[in-house]
Amino acid sequence: MTQEQRFELVTKGTLEIIQPAELQRVLEEKKQPRAYWGFECSGKQPR
Amino acid sequence: MLRKAATLARLPGMMHIGTGLVCAAKIKEMVQAGFHFVIFLADWHSMINNKFGGDMEKIETAGEYFKHCFTALGLTEDKVEYIWASELASKPNYWERVIRIAKTTTAQRAMRALPIMGRDMKTQEVETASLFYPCMQAADIFEMNLDVACAGIDQRKAHVLAREAGEKLRWGKPVALHTPMLMGLAGIQGSDKGVYDEDSKLSAVISAKMSKSKPENTILLHDSPELIEEKLRRAYCPQRIVEGNPVIEYYRLLAFSKNKAVILHRDRKYGGDLNFSTYREVEEAYKRGEIHPQDLKANMARILTEILSGVREYFDKNPESLEQMQKLEAR
Repeated sequence: MTQEQRFELVTKGTLEIIQPAELQRVLEEKKQPRAYWGFECSGKQPR
Repeated sequence: MLRKAATLARLPGMMHIGTGLVCAAKIKEMVQAGFHFVIFLADWHSMINNKFGGDMEKIETAGEYFKHCFTALGLTEDKVEYIWASELASKPNYWERVIRIAKTTTAQRAMRALPIMGRDMKTQEVETASLFYPCMQAADIFEMNLDVACAGIDQRKAHVLAREAGEKLRWGKPVALHTPMLMGLAGIQGSDKGVYDEDSKLSAVISAKMSKSKPENTILLHDSPELIEEKLRRAYCPQRIVEGNPVIEYYRLLAFSKNKAVILHRDRKYGGDLNFSTYREVEEAYKRGEIHPQDLKANMARILTEILSGVREYFDKNPESLEQMQKLEAR
């Protein structure tokens, strides 16, 4: 997968990235960057 | 079957499709793009937010159930890592981080980052512990050494706080990725009038999101095909109108995630099946009045039933966690 394809896949369907240029840099510098999504343990939307 | 599902729907704590489908799809895409992805089970944060009356034991049960839901959605432990907040909180360094972050911001800013908890901004009686919540969110990001923090758009203030704190403390600035909130079935018009953000448009979006506190407004992962159909039949879906219409919104956010064409089945006397390769085409056809709301709803019920079939199979084979949740709620 090219950098561009990775960027495309990650940003697809999102409302906002703060900041896209920083995300580009992360993808360029790291093969396996680290990300997370936190969830409160209830039926609520993600925290 | 229908009655069983209807009982489930009244129970708080059950995962709905806003969490289950929007988040799971994004996480899968990020794993595909090479990310090491952590699904963070925020038990401490739930306690602060008084979920299950702040009872940690019940919160753990709900967290385990969440883990099963994501596993059922294909996010197995060989693809993602599950970390509990209490694992981080058991390290003394963690709390040092929380305090250091708290020192970079004011109580007023921490308060303003609180609508993340779905709390009305006018609420005066806020526990002091709540002020730690956004500071802990920021600490979690640095403690787990993350490059990217993902969440729904209602979390943006907490992420901005984390970025500013990271810059001041020279811990680096995490990238923040925000997804749309899935609208409840009643749409914008059916939402409460609470103020969740100074930005009135964002506030309306947050209050219209699919919250489990309004069960009839929500589709749960466990809803039976019949119940999904029934709930959609009652959904707000004005003819030809796209704005504030939750059903068309589900096409945008859920139906095309697999990059496959979507077929809308329709009775031959109303023109027969329709084939769409992009969401935009559905939207245009709906605006032109070429799709009747009833067809839009019935097909969404079918699409959701198909997407959720794997989850149903998983819980049929592994019913324990779901049963424990039900017991917990019944108590």
